[in-house]
Amino acid sequence: MKQQPGPFAGRRVLDLSAHAAQVPHALAVAMAARLAADFGAEVVRPAAEGVDRLAKLPPLLPDGGSALARFLLAGRSNGEAGAFDAAIGDEVALAEVAAPLKVRISVFGAGDDPAMSELGLLGLSGMLAAVQPRQGVPVRLGGHQAPYAAGLSAFTALAAGLRAGRPDTVDVSLFDVACWLNWKAAASVLLLGDAAASREQRGGWHTLPAADGHVCLVYMAKDWPALRDMVGDARLSRTAFATQKARGQNLDALDDILRPWFAARSRAEITAAAQARRIPIGPVLSPAELLADRQYAARHFLTSDGAPRLPLLVDGARPDWRRQADKELPADA
Amino acid sequence: MPDPKPLAGIRVVDLGWLTAGAASSTLLHDLGAAVVKIEGPNALDPFRDWVGAEAATDWWNHSPFYNFTNRGKRSVCLDLKDPRGAAVLLRILEGADVLVENFRRGILAGFGLAPALLRQRFPRLIIVSISSQGEDGPDRDLVSFGSTLEGTSGLAALTGEAAGEPVITGRNINYPDQVVCLFAAGAVVAALMQRDATGDGAHLDLSQRELTSFLLGEELLAAAAGAPSARQGNRDATDPAQQVAVREDGLRAEWAGGSVPVRDAAALAHAADFTAGTAILRDPQGVPAKGLPFRFASNPPRIATGTNPLGCDNRAVLAEAGLSEAEISGLEQAGIIATRPRRGPAA
Repeated sequence: MKQQPGPFAGRRVLDLSAHAAQVPHALAVAMAARLAADFGAEVVRPAAEGVDRLAKLPPLLPDGGSALARFLLAGRSNGEAGAFDAAIGDEVALAEVAAPLKVRISVFGAGDDPAMSELGLLGLSGMLAAVQPRQGVPVRLGGHQAPYAAGLSAFTALAAGLRAGRPDTVDVSLFDVACWLNWKAAASVLLLGDAAASREQRGGWHTLPAADGHVCLVYMAKDWPALRDMVGDARLSRTAFATQKARGQNLDALDDILRPWFAARSRAEITAAAQARRIPIGPVLSPAELLADRQYAARHFLTSDGAPRLPLLVDGARPDWRRQADKELPADA
Repeated sequence: MPDPKPLAGIRVVDLGWLTAGAASSTLLHDLGAAVVKIEGPNALDPFRDWVGAEAATDWWNHSPFYNFTNRGKRSVCLDLKDPRGAAVLLRILEGADVLVENFRRGILAGFGLAPALLRQRFPRLIIVSISSQGEDGPDRDLVSFGSTLEGTSGLAALTGEAAGEPVITGRNINYPDQVVCLFAAGAVVAALMQRDATGDGAHLDLSQRELTSFLLGEELLAAAAGAPSARQGNRDATDPAQQVAVREDGLRAEWAGGSVPVRDAAALAHAADFTAGTAILRDPQGVPAKGLPFRFASNPPRIATGTNPLGCDNRAVLAEAGLSEAEISGLEQAGIIATRPRRGPAA
């Protein structure tokens, strides 16, 4: 089927990720630029003057190349420099280019861009504290979630700026975006008070070992009777577990009762039993398992080499808006 | 005088619930669209009694999280389960550019409002369906919350210590619900650009699970090449100094170039850099409300209006849709439009 030109067809976007001074900025810029290419823009990425750090970032492929670069830098054009409709980069890189629309990535905002790591962004924004194992210190989310989310924000800002069609500068703060994702933490404090916020954080959601891996124990108060009946242990009818608040206060005791039931069953068995009762429990799947996932296969989400396509269907079809000229280039060229 | 916003003149009908749907519409509002939020007297946005909804006389208008998320929207309370209510929605959609929904799959079709039918009837309409798994496929009807999708997308498998259990964000973040808003808003703007060029609307089908996996794209590529990554806690292969450590002043995130405190919710809410940022802003009454994840120089971020009470725009919106005073009064008397729910708050 012949695809229509993409929404950004005819637009030229300058990707300054190779010129970003810090890795989080480079990742955010590259994510926004990758999406611009996926939506049909001609995206030009000038080479780094020294080492291109994105081209070396793990995970590495057996051929030594960076899987990250292959994913994130896909769809760039080898087009010439010249006039651009928009440029995405950090403040210093953008200062040297002319484009009517500039999307500027920083830590806190223009002129407030200290040295920062991805872990630091998660720590400052409260995202790190929110990902708390049952034991030990908080852990960062897998992958590059803080800069990639900022990249999504930058993509939306880019789209809006292109549609507006007038000169403008949009600032995307890596910190603000992470805080925006974690809004419920701060909102709970500001709207409900510190004590209520502390209660609100105790959802009791976590993973539990199954016979062949783990499942996510996720449920709302309304799901409790179904969960209790599914596990079928009389101790779960005690008053210590009667309300969401009580369950939060007795989380370890609750886990002690739940664990054997989960550990004796496979992820598929647990998921089937839970879903039959409309409890939102699901398996923890590895990226390798996702390659054979039936839902992803049915929706043609992954290419044969495992690369995710644009996470969007339009009128029932997954769009292929990337410029034809850019499809043949190796992603990490 | 700020410039017109990018979506000035765009009209959005918001059937979105909680974060994934409702906050996507809020971003469209921030970009300049006029948003009408439509809930039913028997189908309130669950945020209305998520937390802090005291069983006072009009608890539904005092939910902190609902009001935080749905600022700036007009509110219509319309019973879509009644065919007369669904017919009113069709009248409203005649003047709309975008419809946002994140109902369980099949619910909209059950109202006689299947996206395919709406596409036929309103060829210029952009319908945005945000769901866990997408519109089709064998698992489309699986029940999930955002954190369930952290498990099924690959994120949980890569979050946590190598020797420990996978970790999910839980009720306070529900990560896939948050990130989908950032992408959905951009996808809508792109679809509007496409419509500007072609005149054609579209049905956008966004799977939160797919987006969450997309944000791990390099890990999928590595796994397919036979080089899958393992969970690695806070370690970073490119920075051996990176860790979270307990120090005298509490937990700190440390890396080769510096360190910062690991803030909890209270520390975040009271931090100067957070207050100076845009993640949470204040409405004209000074009430904290959802902020913006970007700042246009042409339109510095601000919140112009607070949250409207349930159904307070019933009459105005229906009149704009062409209904007569008599028709609107008839709908009121029949309870098809309302200004209060038919139930009390969830226990």
